[in-house]
Amino acid sequence: MLIIKELHASIGDKEILKGINLIVKPGEVHAIMGPNGSGKSTLSAVLAGRDNYNVTSGEVLFEGENLFDFSPEERSWKGLFLGFQYPIEIPGVTNVNFIKTAVNEHRKNKGLSPLSAAEFLKLMRERMAFVEMDSSFSSRGVNVGFSGGEKKRNEIFQMAMLEPKLAILDETDSGLDVDALRIVANGVNRLKRPENSTIVITHYQRLLDYIIPDFVHILYNGKIIKSAGKELAMEVEKRGYDWLING
Amino acid sequence: MKENYLFSPKLSQKFSCSVPLKGTLQQFVINGKVQGEDKPFSLYLPQEKEMEDILQLISVRTSEVFRPIYSKKSFSASKDKEEKLELNLSSEYFFDNNSSARILLCSHTFSLDRFVTNENVSITLKEGASAEFIVMQNEHNKATHNTVFNVNIAEKAKLKMVFISLHGGVISNTLNVNMNGELAECDLSGLYLTDSKQMMTTKIDLNHLKPKCKSNQLFKGILDDYGVAKFYGRIIVSPDAQKTEAFQANHNLLISNNAKAYTRPQLEIYADDVKCSHGATIGRLNDLELFYMRTRGIPLYEARLLQQMAFAYEVLENISNEELKSRMQSLVERRMRGEFANCRNCSKNCC
Repeated sequence: MLIIKELHASIGDKEILKGINLIVKPGEVHAIMGPNGSGKSTLSAVLAGRDNYNVTSGEVLFEGENLFDFSPEERSWKGLFLGFQYPIEIPGVTNVNFIKTAVNEHRKNKGLSPLSAAEFLKLMRERMAFVEMDSSFSSRGVNVGFSGGEKKRNEIFQMAMLEPKLAILDETDSGLDVDALRIVANGVNRLKRPENSTIVITHYQRLLDYIIPDFVHILYNGKIIKSAGKELAMEVEKRGYDWLING
Repeated sequence: MKENYLFSPKLSQKFSCSVPLKGTLQQFVINGKVQGEDKPFSLYLPQEKEMEDILQLISVRTSEVFRPIYSKKSFSASKDKEEKLELNLSSEYFFDNNSSARILLCSHTFSLDRFVTNENVSITLKEGASAEFIVMQNEHNKATHNTVFNVNIAEKAKLKMVFISLHGGVISNTLNVNMNGELAECDLSGLYLTDSKQMMTTKIDLNHLKPKCKSNQLFKGILDDYGVAKFYGRIIVSPDAQKTEAFQANHNLLISNNAKAYTRPQLEIYADDVKCSHGATIGRLNDLELFYMRTRGIPLYEARLLQQMAFAYEVLENISNEELKSRMQSLVERRMRGEFANCRNCSKNCC
């Protein structure tokens, strides 16, 4: 699914990623943990194609193709999804118009005709239910005036509509209370397919109580310093990162 | 005063106005004269009269009527130097006490001649009257259209005007508004779109002469290519006009590096108990919003368009008739997609 080889990336002169290696196979759930400033968000931004990051060396293959050959929209069409840590507000663009445009662009790319209004509404209602989103959200501006939890639910709703092969969820748990966390995690779990993969980027172990990872990686100072099974997350929760960094 | 204007489909030229809006009365004004009559348009609405239907005035200019007669000699000469066709128009709207109406003014030019139109529009609202004007300006690149609106609003009267300046070589709108009675309200908003070398000017003098009046101005522009927009807005609060609430905003979105916006929001306050504000911005499309949309599979071109529509939305939102609003929205969207600009031979880009 995804192969990251010796990936180096920087913003301006500052190198943030200093040789990341990671292999994600179909069906796997990977968690990437690490303290602030370790490069977690940079990694997700680079994978999604944000343009102010420079990839200086290394490569990323997504289903055998060089990911960096594609624009952010092409990556989306190929099945990559990034759940934002801070979802962007777009005043004036309604949620429904936004997601409809996105879904139909995906369909266009697959050579399918746009969904009819009725088909689209049916799909939207069904997927909004995944994250217990009220239908009144559809007519509001994208993320405008949404609470932290509502924004994250909206991210998972978009993911449900686009059905990605690989979802990268960047700090999806930040700013969520326990109920919202459960709703978001349930949404992610309901979307799980044997052939689809997920990368969960998080500070805390608590999201991993709900979304059980197959692998846990610790990112520090632009490198993965340790990889293990889900028990590693528990250990980090107990002991912090210091023993890994200094050890 | 005729109150029932009928849709008059028999217009001499190929006029591609799509079906009129439901509940709309249409009146054509050709070269400044009411169709079939030799006089300029004027509307007098008697006291207490409430007009339910929207009155749509379609003001078209055709070169046919006053095309200069060329002698053989000057005809060949005119190939180098195009003839300028200048036209002075005027119209008058008078809303007597407690009357109300909604007016849609559409302005078009038919032929691709180098038109210069100077127009004078007088709008008077007497006590308690209310009126909504939607002004749709859609002309070709060789057209110059200068309009001066002289507006007088009496006590407790309410005026709302929404300008949609879709297309036109040079468009200039000057508004002189006098708030002549207490508790009068005036809500002005506008959306202007320029591309190629189009130039758009908005000049507003809003005079608060009496206490407790409210005014609001919101003008937004999207400027592409070498488009230029100028905004001069002034709110003048006279010493008598205590408890005035007056707000003004001008926002410009520059789509290209060569587009230019000049904005001069001004406040002159001579009273001491007022709420006033003004503000202006000139900005670009938001990169982060664009990136967010692209990660959802919305291509850059569409993402830019969505963002521009979002920017325009705040002004379009002021159109109270839903059907008219959605028609204007689709016109604006088509315009942003460049569908008009690509069609150079057509000068009939109307709603």
